[in-house]
Amino acid sequence: MTLTSIQDADGSAVEAIVDSKQMLDDEPPRRRSFLASVGRDFRLRWELWVLVLPAFVATAIFAYVPMYGIQLAFREFDFEKGLTGGDWVGLTYFVQFFNSPLFWDLIRNTFAISASVMVFGFFAPIVLALLINQIVGTRIRRFVQTVTYLPHFISVVVIVGMLAIFLSPTTGMITRVAEFFGADNPNFLGSTSAFVPVYVISEIWQHCGWSSIIYLAALSNVDPQLYEAAQVDGANRVQVIRHVDLPALAPTMAVLFILSMGTVLSTGFEKIYLMQNTLNLPVSEVIATYAYKIGILNGQFSYATAIGLFNTLINFAFLIAANWIAKRYANTSLW
Amino acid sequence: MGNHSTATRQRSVRHLARTATALAAGGALLLSGCSAGGGTPEDGETITVLVVKSGLTKPMKDIEWVDQLEKQAEVKIKWQEIAADWDQKKATLLASGDVPDLIIGSNVITDSELSKYGSLFEDLGEHMDELPNVRDMFGEVEGAEQMATQEDGAVYAIPSWYEYWPQASVRQYINQEWLDNLGLDMPRDWDELYDVLVQFEEKDANGNGDSDDEIPMDWAPVPTWGFGYFNPMELLSSVGIVTSNGGGQGTYVQDGEVKNFLVSDGYRQTLEFLSKAWAAGLINPDNFTQDYAAYQAIGRGDGDDARVGFSWGWTASDRFGAALDDQYVSMAPIPRKLGQREPVVWGWDFYNLNPNHILMSKKTTNKDAALRAINEFYSQDMSVQTLWGTLGKDVEKIDDTTYEVLPPADPETDSSTWKWQETLGDAAPTWIRGGLDVTLPQDLDEAVVESEPLQDALAAVNPATDTFPQYIKVPQADRDQIALNNTTVMNVAMSAFADFITNGDIEGKWDAYVSQLEKSGLTQNVDLLQKAYDAGLGG
Repeated sequence: MTLTSIQDADGSAVEAIVDSKQMLDDEPPRRRSFLASVGRDFRLRWELWVLVLPAFVATAIFAYVPMYGIQLAFREFDFEKGLTGGDWVGLTYFVQFFNSPLFWDLIRNTFAISASVMVFGFFAPIVLALLINQIVGTRIRRFVQTVTYLPHFISVVVIVGMLAIFLSPTTGMITRVAEFFGADNPNFLGSTSAFVPVYVISEIWQHCGWSSIIYLAALSNVDPQLYEAAQVDGANRVQVIRHVDLPALAPTMAVLFILSMGTVLSTGFEKIYLMQNTLNLPVSEVIATYAYKIGILNGQFSYATAIGLFNTLINFAFLIAANWIAKRYANTSLW
Repeated sequence: MGNHSTATRQRSVRHLARTATALAAGGALLLSGCSAGGGTPEDGETITVLVVKSGLTKPMKDIEWVDQLEKQAEVKIKWQEIAADWDQKKATLLASGDVPDLIIGSNVITDSELSKYGSLFEDLGEHMDELPNVRDMFGEVEGAEQMATQEDGAVYAIPSWYEYWPQASVRQYINQEWLDNLGLDMPRDWDELYDVLVQFEEKDANGNGDSDDEIPMDWAPVPTWGFGYFNPMELLSSVGIVTSNGGGQGTYVQDGEVKNFLVSDGYRQTLEFLSKAWAAGLINPDNFTQDYAAYQAIGRGDGDDARVGFSWGWTASDRFGAALDDQYVSMAPIPRKLGQREPVVWGWDFYNLNPNHILMSKKTTNKDAALRAINEFYSQDMSVQTLWGTLGKDVEKIDDTTYEVLPPADPETDSSTWKWQETLGDAAPTWIRGGLDVTLPQDLDEAVVESEPLQDALAAVNPATDTFPQYIKVPQADRDQIALNNTTVMNVAMSAFADFITNGDIEGKWDAYVSQLEKSGLTQNVDLLQKAYDAGLGG
């Protein structure tokens, strides 16, 4: 995505130059074919093209070439005939998925988890960055920053193991604390109503510090004169945050939010799968875990591919919609 | 074996996370096709052998019987040793189409995979003249040839037969010391069992002064795809249902009729019993959320104080640890109610005959060498060695048909762990012959002795009409449909299992639950399995 935006920014900048040259050449710009203008541009600015070449190649190899495997979703997988050799079955596997008795449960569970992560996981790093930005001493600030982003590096398996220990109904530390405050036999690992909160809160705890780094970088770019001016005008801390910090963060927030829309139906498979048990299954079966069970455990590659493709299409639609809304109302967008 | 299955289960849980990465990379995975074996020189005797073994096992080149194998089969073996992540590696290996000359392991490539990837492997059925040991095994071991023969009539993989293995892999244990401490008799039906468990809960059964640390009943974590081993589905034996492999996805056979216990009255009665026990606090509150390690740890108690009163396991020492195992006795299955009509049975696990232990690549350049190696694995001496260790070191051969498995050469190691260090254990392609006289090692001996209380119940099972034979092959299209249905069925059934026990009101929810399962494909699955069962027995 970044690639696209660089490309686009680059492209439009270059176009402007081309246009000015065109005026000199006195040639109508629209007549020129796309390839010709690219070729012309390449002669003029070949250094920039060389610069983006590795990114082009990497994207082509790792994002576009494997896409030919998508046809597996429309074919009956047949090992002997290879990935693309199976019989064409059209939308059979999509229909199968839509007609599955679990379909709406899966959509609802997946959406509930990823929407919660998106909303809470979006604001938490901003709040954290604003708080860290308020800390005056450099050393203590670095310390706080390090402490908050360290959990990001813990493996998911370990995190789930920690959750199992802290939240155990008999010996869990957090369970004990909750009981002290009057909770009646809380079972945070098993209850269907606790699953999403446990997932989201642990997710925020783990990744909040790491995600706040980009906001801290944006905040460090704020011109100190703005703070001074605000203070001279008599603004208190909250007002400084409201009128100086937040406007500085707005473009970053918009871009990150649009990007996060692209994962609206993608949930962290590993963590959910590891947290799954028979008690919370009604809310913890999501598209990814279902696809794993059907595709990998039962070897139905075509069906799993179809589910994956459906998932991607929904994500793509959300991304486009979010970008359109942001462009229209906030004047910020990816393209 | 018990240790192994435990270890496998724990490993498999841990590896799920890593498997997840494989899922994410699904497309790339199928495309990439890394080179797996290949490169075997055409010197007529070198072969590449991939072995899926326990993490405890020594490197193959350090194992003495491996030298003998190479000498006697006149081959040189290049080993590829895999102790972890096999399921994940296997997907790549098979999809790449580039498999090593031989693949060894316990059910290492499943029937379901063979129906897709069978063309990668040599049909060993065509080479029976070069595999006299295998041919003899097929002749002597009932069901072995049928098990090995796939739908298309080819024999891609050869099973293993362990003569001495107990038929059932699960035994039921109760803490005899607690019964004695509280002056209680061995329970004879569910009502008595319930009363005993209540006593365990209320009194200080382990005598450590704390009357609250006893856990009357506990079982192994139940996965979301169905029932594994060591869970209360063993109680279905009290109502005459013969489960297999711990319960699985509910399929069982009664008088030649395929059924699913998930919608049976017996299952409902079992759930009602468990629900009553849960409400009375007789089941470990951590039960539904603990992992395997926690379950094993709690079974081992606190030092000399046992924590668990009633549970299921492979052997007492595997389940409760060496310090506490003598407190527990293997308990005979009990009826639901004394004098009931249904016979008391026990799970039938076909544990002696294990499918798909060795396969040969179709592209093998040194075909004769590979066949010689397969044949050698199934020879009498080699079979004993791959399972129990090198002759003269781990096993003493007394005469042609008499062997004694020696205690571990390292006195610090228990016999179960030792076996895994020195041998491939139940990963090995093995035929332990019927007529042999073997003095068993301690761990297996324990399982055999502790299986004795099960004998009456096992005798009440007629394998011909009450079990689903493992050799029956379900056609691939049907198998896919069954798997598809089961993904939905188990999602409903396993959450209902937990819900019924912990929240009760089974009576109010049962009818809706049954109709939901039937709509989700359970009825269709039973029909498809019945079709395969009838076809399998007819053919």
